[in-house]
Amino acid sequence: MKLSNDSKELIVFLSIIAVVISIFSFVLFGITGVRVFIGIIFMSLPFYLLLDNFKLTLGEKFVFSIILGITILPSLAFLLGFIISFRLAIWAVFIVLVIAAVVLKKHIKSKKN
Amino acid sequence: MKLNKNYIQTFVFILVYLFAIYFWSQPFQDKKLPYGEYDAMSHFQVGDYIAYNDESFMTLPSYIDIRYGRDNDFRPHTLWYPPTFHTSLGVMEVIGGERIIPVYLLNTIMATFIIITSYFVINSLFGFLPAILSSLLLIFSPRDFMPFLWGQWPERFAYAFIPLILYCLYKYYISYSKQNSQPKYLYLMSLFLGINMLIHPFVFFHSLVGMFVLYILLWINLKKFAFNIKHVIIALLILVVFFAIFPYQTGNIFVSFQSSTSGEKELPSLSRLFHWSLDPKDFVGSVPAFYFSFKEMHGSWTLPFLLLGIFFLLLRREKRDLFLLAWLISLYLVLHRDMIGIATFLHRSLSATAHVFAPLTAIGAVYLASFIKLPKNYKNYLKFAIAIVFVYLVFSVNMATASKTMNKEVYNPYSQSGFFTTLNDAEYQAGQWILENVPQGYNISVLGIVHDLNILSATAKKIRWLGAVSQHVTRFYYLLETDEERKNHLENFYIMVDYSMLIPLSNQEQFANLIKDMQEFEQNTLKNHTLLYNDNENHIRVYKLETKQ
Repeated sequence: MKLSNDSKELIVFLSIIAVVISIFSFVLFGITGVRVFIGIIFMSLPFYLLLDNFKLTLGEKFVFSIILGITILPSLAFLLGFIISFRLAIWAVFIVLVIAAVVLKKHIKSKKN
Repeated sequence: MKLNKNYIQTFVFILVYLFAIYFWSQPFQDKKLPYGEYDAMSHFQVGDYIAYNDESFMTLPSYIDIRYGRDNDFRPHTLWYPPTFHTSLGVMEVIGGERIIPVYLLNTIMATFIIITSYFVINSLFGFLPAILSSLLLIFSPRDFMPFLWGQWPERFAYAFIPLILYCLYKYYISYSKQNSQPKYLYLMSLFLGINMLIHPFVFFHSLVGMFVLYILLWINLKKFAFNIKHVIIALLILVVFFAIFPYQTGNIFVSFQSSTSGEKELPSLSRLFHWSLDPKDFVGSVPAFYFSFKEMHGSWTLPFLLLGIFFLLLRREKRDLFLLAWLISLYLVLHRDMIGIATFLHRSLSATAHVFAPLTAIGAVYLASFIKLPKNYKNYLKFAIAIVFVYLVFSVNMATASKTMNKEVYNPYSQSGFFTTLNDAEYQAGQWILENVPQGYNISVLGIVHDLNILSATAKKIRWLGAVSQHVTRFYYLLETDEERKNHLENFYIMVDYSMLIPLSNQEQFANLIKDMQEFEQNTLKNHTLLYNDNENHIRVYKLETKQ
């Protein structure tokens, strides 16, 4: 897969941001702080992938996916937590949402073709 | 290599936001111990229970139920709010791998999320400079961080949704036409509105008022009525899903709303319409008087810029200007709902003031240069010079005031008053031991966390924090109980004897006597019971109240 210059620039920029936030979190709160930062990425990622299927600006995708991630994913995990372990429920919801995003992307692509 | 301007601006914002996290997280940076008022305990307890026990729950555990069992009017003994906010804390506790920092750090991020959403919206509509100045001002808004310290956690987060909801409605409306519209924004608006309801119903109603005002203003200004029945039905269906997802808690919203609006209420006089803030005398004992002061909350220097910002937007009336004006008008309406007899938690709506005032103030400052007749180059210099003065005033006035408030003893768990309200390390460890070793169903009586009327309002919080950490019902043990009471009490309880709080106070006669009484009690009454936990260094012991054979 060949990345465009814009994508490369974005990846470099996001990496710099990630390093800065990780250092900040580590200095103030140790490894737990870094885990919280990773946790936010973990919760937001499926929603970023889902929103990536719609024509939204980069800023919209980032802000919307974080706020959806830290609210919708836990709500679904809470519901599933009545049936299975809460920890498993978090993973299950994450996987289902990522699959949903991939399926949606393929569906939209096939519709375009 | 040419640096992308958007990336540089975003990077600057990230630095500003990290500073906000640093500033707001000061109370828990050094000592990793839970703190906060009663509301904070309840939010911690719910999230912590889910994460620690690895399960969701319908009926409240007894240590939460003892205080909140009746807070859900629709279905007592279940959660009084939807679990969305608390479960988020729970998920972070699981990912973070410990009980305190992940909860408090995520809560800080959520409480400051208004800075992110406000920056995003203002940057999208008015550009970088007003957005970044406004974000800076928001960091030091006492009406935001004080409720955060008081424990009104979900409400703080819920306010972050208002700009997003209005933004989505705005984007839908301005793009609307019969041939080409962008319904995705309406669906996103509905999605955010639904989540807003799950996070805090009170703010959900605020959002509805904002949407109504923005819709009307855009309708008048654009002279087009954006209404597509298909879009509206889909948006409503999304909302219905959110109403249905946690029925007991949604039911509670309706029942609570009904009870808060029913009954005859004395309406304020019409002069109330000409006051923005409320009368501090009506809230004595609830919030401090300075909470109602513009000077203390925003800084007097912001007033001319704020008025200028409003004046400028009223004068210009572009589409984007209507966005902010609608937000301002909706806040005014929400703040004056007592005029129609709905006065519940009126002062809490005041905590949303800075969210609108900060961008208006920043816009007033940035656009000040445009009022002065100068060549374009000079106007730009003037704009940046004003921005520099703005930043200077934020740090020298707002940050200075905010730091004082943040460090006031009452908010600082490690000061003298914090000493009485917050668990110390040894108490936290004892609480953790109780959680791991005392079977559910047993209650913990504590002797040594002082039950004295002069400091009871503080030590009652300490007892409750012990309950939160140990996940057991905890209560004071009174040495003054009658023999009969004591006998009954001793049959079903574990007792924690805690000298860790008293030893630093032993130079005061009252506490020295209490230590003596406690030692006697331990030697005479507890000697026949089983000692299970013994922290010799800090002098905390836990006994199971059963007579040794």
